[in-house]
Amino acid sequence: MPDRDEAARLADHAQIEGLADDLLPALIAKLGATGLGELEVHEGSWKVRLRRAADGSSATGRVASRTTRVAAGHVEHPHPGSTEPPADPYRTAATSPAVGIYHPRPEISSGSRVRAGDRIATVDVLGIPQEVVAPVNGIVGAGLVESGDAVEYGQELVWIELISTPPERAGRDA
Amino acid sequence: MFTKILIANRGEIAVRILRACRTLGVEAVVAYSEADRESLAVQLADEAICIGPADAKRSYLSAPAVISAAIVSGCDAIHPGYGFLSEDEGFAEVVRAHGLTFIGPPPQVLERFASKEATRRLLGAEGLATIPGSNGMIRDDLHGLEEAERIGYPVLIKPSAGGGGKGMRMVRTPRELEAALKICRSEARAAFGDDSLYLEKWLEDNRHVEVQVAVDRFGHGVHLGERDCSVQRRHQKFLEEAPTPALDEAARAELAERAIKAVVSAGYENVGTLEFLVDPAGNAYFIEINCRIQVEHPVTEMLTGIDLVVTQIRIAAGEPLGFSQADVTLRGHALEFRINAEDAEHDFRPSTGVVERYLAPGGPGVRMDSHLFTGYEVPPFYDSLLGKLIVWGPDRPTAIARSLVALDELVVEGLITNVAIHQALLRNEVFLAGEMTTNLVDRVGSASFLAAAAR
Repeated sequence: MPDRDEAARLADHAQIEGLADDLLPALIAKLGATGLGELEVHEGSWKVRLRRAADGSSATGRVASRTTRVAAGHVEHPHPGSTEPPADPYRTAATSPAVGIYHPRPEISSGSRVRAGDRIATVDVLGIPQEVVAPVNGIVGAGLVESGDAVEYGQELVWIELISTPPERAGRDA
Repeated sequence: MFTKILIANRGEIAVRILRACRTLGVEAVVAYSEADRESLAVQLADEAICIGPADAKRSYLSAPAVISAAIVSGCDAIHPGYGFLSEDEGFAEVVRAHGLTFIGPPPQVLERFASKEATRRLLGAEGLATIPGSNGMIRDDLHGLEEAERIGYPVLIKPSAGGGGKGMRMVRTPRELEAALKICRSEARAAFGDDSLYLEKWLEDNRHVEVQVAVDRFGHGVHLGERDCSVQRRHQKFLEEAPTPALDEAARAELAERAIKAVVSAGYENVGTLEFLVDPAGNAYFIEINCRIQVEHPVTEMLTGIDLVVTQIRIAAGEPLGFSQADVTLRGHALEFRINAEDAEHDFRPSTGVVERYLAPGGPGVRMDSHLFTGYEVPPFYDSLLGKLIVWGPDRPTAIARSLVALDELVVEGLITNVAIHQALLRNEVFLAGEMTTNLVDRVGSASFLAAAAR
């Protein structure tokens, strides 16, 4: 593909912004509600495909198990020798920087668009808030813990749904 | 009694404390770092909580992380084990400020005994002989040189905070002193966050003998006899036994009685250990007090039948001791072998990796306190202690004979351990005669020591 001019690239960027801000949250909600495995939407020269995690675990199931774990201890710990599930290519979790009490930021909710490093929540350690940051650019997805819950270091707190790179863009770099 | 205890430590001692909590019927939560997620303590625990990354400064040494973990998991007490935060009076004070109990001496008692130099003066005034030493902390190199001249070489440089041989050096000349002061300062600062040093006269051919005490809140105290920790390598103990072969029965009883009398009188509370150096003439000089449960506590448990960790928790909960000196009987002889993941043939370099096979020894009088299991990966971030083999017998020769069998039975594959040096010790004439001094291994060097035993 030949190099495009600056204006065309800026137009692309604006279009991606629009997708991320408006379309993706709606699609994520749709995917969650329908129970479909995959959704694909075409708009202009762009294509967005959302695919559910392979393990099929629902967000509500996750919340329950994580809460049990903090309350009842290591019962939920994987046993040595068990292999970790493969990294989810479509979403990644923001994790707790410390052991303490979880509080999401009021301005952040499911569907908010975040960039890697954005402060999305805090974990109070003896009254001192420690920042929870988004690990990647993406859309805030389902919460894995409730506000006010006790969380441990490294605990997964909230999903960040990844905004996948459109295939056309990847092709251009080739 | 407490309702729930946070165990803020790792390795074998976390398992040991968990067992004590269960014996008492108290719930326990194991606090662990990311590197210890698969540890035995976490697997055995009913409840476990990750407090930070592998780096101990951000997990086991982080007071906010430990206290926050205790609060969010509903604990009312924290057991610090040994090392890490166990003798940090600042930590104990913050624990109390958050309405929790530090399992150990109360903060004000820890503070009184925090400085080794001040403790020597305090207990010196209570009738314990102390080694001639510097007048207070070393202010600078010149002050150090003057004090060393006054005491007389050789002298031992010691950090006021901490233990375990870090920041400690023996020097024989002013030139050595000047060089060593710099090293000790930086070692002490790195290890304990406090670089104050003092000097002590170095006694050649000394023995290390320590007295175990337990004192409740009501000033009722008992001693539980002594332990001999003369077998050391570069000031690090690695084999302990009781009773000490260095003193006869009357001298042992007299030392222990003087020790308990002095600490009760000085206001000590909870379990503790008074360390002494014993010179060839049998004179015992007080050097320091350890305000925590010690690695070698099982030696005393084997002789007395008293669970020291349970006793420590009970005292911290404000309970009376419940037994008196007349109830304490010392039976037989016990040895403890620290099984370390280190390579004796390569300057005791730590060895890490996966334990491919682990089999603990057994038989009469044999106890293994360890966190190992087959498949366990020893993380590289912490000390090299893999466990402790403790062996009891009705007398020293029987205990030694049983120890040789037990050491031979112990299987730890996948890591290099120091078992060979223990086996060498048990065949060493000086050790067998009970005449070992703290320089037994270092005088000849570990390599020659091992080679001599192999012949």
